[in-house]
Amino acid sequence: MGILYALVGRGSVVLAEFSGTTTNASAIARQILEKTPGNNDMHVSYSQDRYIFHVKRTDGLTVLCMADDTAGRRIPFAFLEDIHQKFVRTYGRAVHSAQPYGMNEEFSRILSQQMEYYSSDPNADRINRLKGEMSQVRNVMIENIDKVLDRGDRLELLVDKTANMQGNTFRFRKQARRFRSTVWWRNVKLTIALIVVLLVIVYVVLAFVCHGPALPSCF
Amino acid sequence: MSFQDIEAGRPFGSRRGLMNGKQDPTQAVAAGIFQINTAVSTFQRLVNTLGTPKDTLDLREKLHKTRLHIGQLVKDTSAKLKQASDIDHHAEVNASKKIADAKLAKDFQAVLKEFQKAQRLAAERETAYTPFVPQAVLPSSYTASEVDVGSDKSPEQRALLVESRRQEVLFLDNEIAFNEAIIEEREQGIQEIQQQIGEVNEIFKDLAVLVHEQGAMIDDIGSNIENSHAATAQAKSQLSKASKTQRSNSSLTCLLLVIFGIVLLIVIIVLAA
Repeated sequence: MGILYALVGRGSVVLAEFSGTTTNASAIARQILEKTPGNNDMHVSYSQDRYIFHVKRTDGLTVLCMADDTAGRRIPFAFLEDIHQKFVRTYGRAVHSAQPYGMNEEFSRILSQQMEYYSSDPNADRINRLKGEMSQVRNVMIENIDKVLDRGDRLELLVDKTANMQGNTFRFRKQARRFRSTVWWRNVKLTIALIVVLLVIVYVVLAFVCHGPALPSCF
Repeated sequence: MSFQDIEAGRPFGSRRGLMNGKQDPTQAVAAGIFQINTAVSTFQRLVNTLGTPKDTLDLREKLHKTRLHIGQLVKDTSAKLKQASDIDHHAEVNASKKIADAKLAKDFQAVLKEFQKAQRLAAERETAYTPFVPQAVLPSSYTASEVDVGSDKSPEQRALLVESRRQEVLFLDNEIAFNEAIIEEREQGIQEIQQQIGEVNEIFKDLAVLVHEQGAMIDDIGSNIENSHAATAQAKSQLSKASKTQRSNSSLTCLLLVIFGIVLLIVIIVLAA
């Protein structure tokens, strides 16, 4: 995956190159440099087995890279544009009179870094970065869905518990009302008993005073 | 018809005069519309040539002149149409002639719309494309060169020119293919992003549904708790009343026990005596 080989050349002269793997990319790259004569600007891609060689030539300077066929074209050509700008900014007009491999010692490290960057870092491409961010948003939303489902389960338990509590409080109210009724009736019974006892005592006293059970002397 | 005219008492002289004055504007309008139609067709053909290799400065000049010509024709025909309309309003003429004039007015409006459409298309293409000025300049310079050098080099020059043009076309085709590939790849990436955004949209909708359902659950919980609170309050008041009654019961029980005690004491005293 990604970019495996990169090269900077002028005409058919190689100025700098870097290879991430041991392949014959270097030989094929030289063939491509020789097969593309002229000095006009161009963008072109050659396929060989399952690798694609992307070539970009601007102002007489050729930048070439070999990439996997799954890398598409947008990222490799962004890589070529970036390498071209860095090369021109670093060496200026010296590229037109440089010796073969004149910049290889310094620039191959930059080629390596940029190959790693454009191959691995999703931030190298705005669309890929946006894709990554949307994936993160989707993952966060999936977690939110899971949490809300858990919350739903706990809310269902809480509904059951509060329903039970409601039933229990209704029973409590009923029993409290029954207890109040029982105590009230007991109070009524005691009051009646007290009145009866008092009436009996009064009768006995009057019986003694009036000299007989039928109370003959008083009436 | 002729009897009605005789009964109306109109003179034949004025009748003929009206007819003579009536026909000229109508026929003039018809002729004008026909000329505008022809000119608009020419204009459209020139507009279709914009953006092709035939697009030159001469073509642009011809386009401009044709546009001015059509504008002049439209102005003249509009004046004649207005004149015919005035005659229709002032004089009482046959209904068939009124219908004919209305039809001419409709045709005139249709032609105007077609011209405006072609004009808009021409404006778009004139800004989108540029005429092939270098192609016009190079042959003239080559012609001068040919005249100066002689006729023996003309085939060579011509072959070089054709080869250069062919390479330029190949270069442009290559650039177009490259740009189309880049655009297609970018479109594919944007399609994927759109798909992910659609998925996130679905997730948000599901979340809204779940939260709404849980809102109903929370309402149930709230109502259950409120009912429990009310029932507990009522039970508390019932228990308070029971407590008061219980206290009264205790007092009555004590009183009864005291009375029984006194009665028992009196009975014992009486029996002892």
